[in-house]
Amino acid sequence: MSKLPKKTRETSLKKKSLWFKNKITPYGFLSPALLILAGVLLFPLIYSFFLSFHEWNMASGEAMKFSFLDNYIKLFKSESFWHSIKLQLIFVGASVSIELIIGLAVAIFLNKDFFADKLVRALLLLPAFILPVVSGLAFRFMYNPQYGAINWFIKKLGFAPIPFLSHPKLAFLAIVIQDIWRMWPFMFMILYASISTFPKAPYEAAKISGANRWQIFRYITLPLLKPSIVIAVILRVLNALKAFSEIYVMTNGGPGNATTILSLFIYKNAFDFYDMGFSAGVSYILVIIALIFSVFLVKKQFDF
Amino acid sequence: MLNRDVSKWTTPKKIMFYTAVIILLLVELFPIFVVISTSFKPAKAVFDSNPFAFFNPTLKNYKEVLFERDFINNLINSVFIALMTSIISVSLGSLAAYSLSRFDFKGKKSIGLGILISRMIPPITLSVPLFILMRKIGILDTHLVLILSHISFILPFIIWMILPFFKGVSKAYEEAALIDGCSRMQSFIRVFIPLVAPGLVVSGIFSFVYSWNDFLYALVLAGSKVQTVPIAVSGFIGQFGPKWGAMTASGTLALIPTFIFALALQKYIISGLSVGGID
Repeated sequence: MSKLPKKTRETSLKKKSLWFKNKITPYGFLSPALLILAGVLLFPLIYSFFLSFHEWNMASGEAMKFSFLDNYIKLFKSESFWHSIKLQLIFVGASVSIELIIGLAVAIFLNKDFFADKLVRALLLLPAFILPVVSGLAFRFMYNPQYGAINWFIKKLGFAPIPFLSHPKLAFLAIVIQDIWRMWPFMFMILYASISTFPKAPYEAAKISGANRWQIFRYITLPLLKPSIVIAVILRVLNALKAFSEIYVMTNGGPGNATTILSLFIYKNAFDFYDMGFSAGVSYILVIIALIFSVFLVKKQFDF
Repeated sequence: MLNRDVSKWTTPKKIMFYTAVIILLLVELFPIFVVISTSFKPAKAVFDSNPFAFFNPTLKNYKEVLFERDFINNLINSVFIALMTSIISVSLGSLAAYSLSRFDFKGKKSIGLGILISRMIPPITLSVPLFILMRKIGILDTHLVLILSHISFILPFIIWMILPFFKGVSKAYEEAALIDGCSRMQSFIRVFIPLVAPGLVVSGIFSFVYSWNDFLYALVLAGSKVQTVPIAVSGFIGQFGPKWGAMTASGTLALIPTFIFALALQKYIISGLSVGGID
């Protein structure tokens, strides 16, 4: 009779080890990814935060010196920092809003069945996949006042060639145009994906009650599209905050500092002047801006 | 909106519609046309501002780029780095996505959100500490440093991109495997991997393209001994005498994998885009 309790004990032991196994397994599967991310992402981020409280010019050969908030005080007092912030905000605001308008208009315009419609949409999306460096250089080539294609059109229209990249305001306009060209198809694609699945019923009802095109757009399309617009805009804002290489190769932040948006400002301070603590501080400001938008995105789009 | 089928429209309306579509395509694809056509131009024609002027196409620029410069080496570097990044990111990413999709555990939500938000951090922010740390370890200007830095932004993206594929696998399959005595790892390899294979391939291609397109890390963390394609392309436009012919030829070669990807994977692109946009 002593057999029975033993067996129950065994099963309960087995259950317990299984319970333990089930507790530990999910972490086991996660750990390789988390370990490598801790090394290449989390630790550098923490290190950068630590760095932002230190004064350190890497080129001087001197040791790192704790300076508490000095870097942050310095950057808030720095005119060129505020200039970069201003450029960054105008860059993001102008390019994303114009991309939204073009993307929305084209999404509505192409929301039809027509010859080679899939091919047309695929071709329109190509610029979004072009290497940013190639895009930046192609525009630099086309903007050239002597042999650039854009200036050829301008001359054909009877105007004098415009030296886009050597004039501060025009250079800024030029980088915005480049971004719009490359990225409105992204807006278009996300909005089209949503618009092409809309129900027909509200449109039929609107037509019967005699609504005009603007009313249909304003009171049916726009409200239905709103969630996708919000997501597309946030994604594009986050993306525009990352812009670097295309501007680096087009203008390198110039002329002067007319196109030095935050990423270029950080790059210059870190890798031209080797002022590591200061640029770590500036990059944390950029992180905070990006995080604010990320939180909106996360709340809107993702759930477990 | 109601009359969405253009083939049923009246002829003048049709003509107007197709004209507008063609103009849209011409304007939008013009810069790409300029890059590709310039790459076939002889030296003199490159500096002819008329983009439609006739010229005798030549392969001279491609010959220069491929045989007189180090571009073949740059291509090998880029392919190697992109492949390694994709393989590592997809393997680790699918393990992590499996865990996030199939288990309930403490800290799941914060780990998942942390991974998602980390995707939004601008790479320029990481470039400063990565440069200092990698310099200390002594691996600047190597393939390894670029693979590691690319993983930092590609792996979080991959985890989120594969997650829906894992969530789509019916629980019944896994339960059957577990009852048959499979361990979790066996069920992951034998049941999940075959079922999510399309997702793995698509996200692998996405990560290849992201790694391929990266310029910032390639510039900051490497660039003299280990040069990737984007660095080489921009290298043709030095301060003195820009070599537009060579730049556009190498640029055209650099565009091939991304354009094949964009045209072939149309179906999956939207789901990829909505997870993290494009860099």
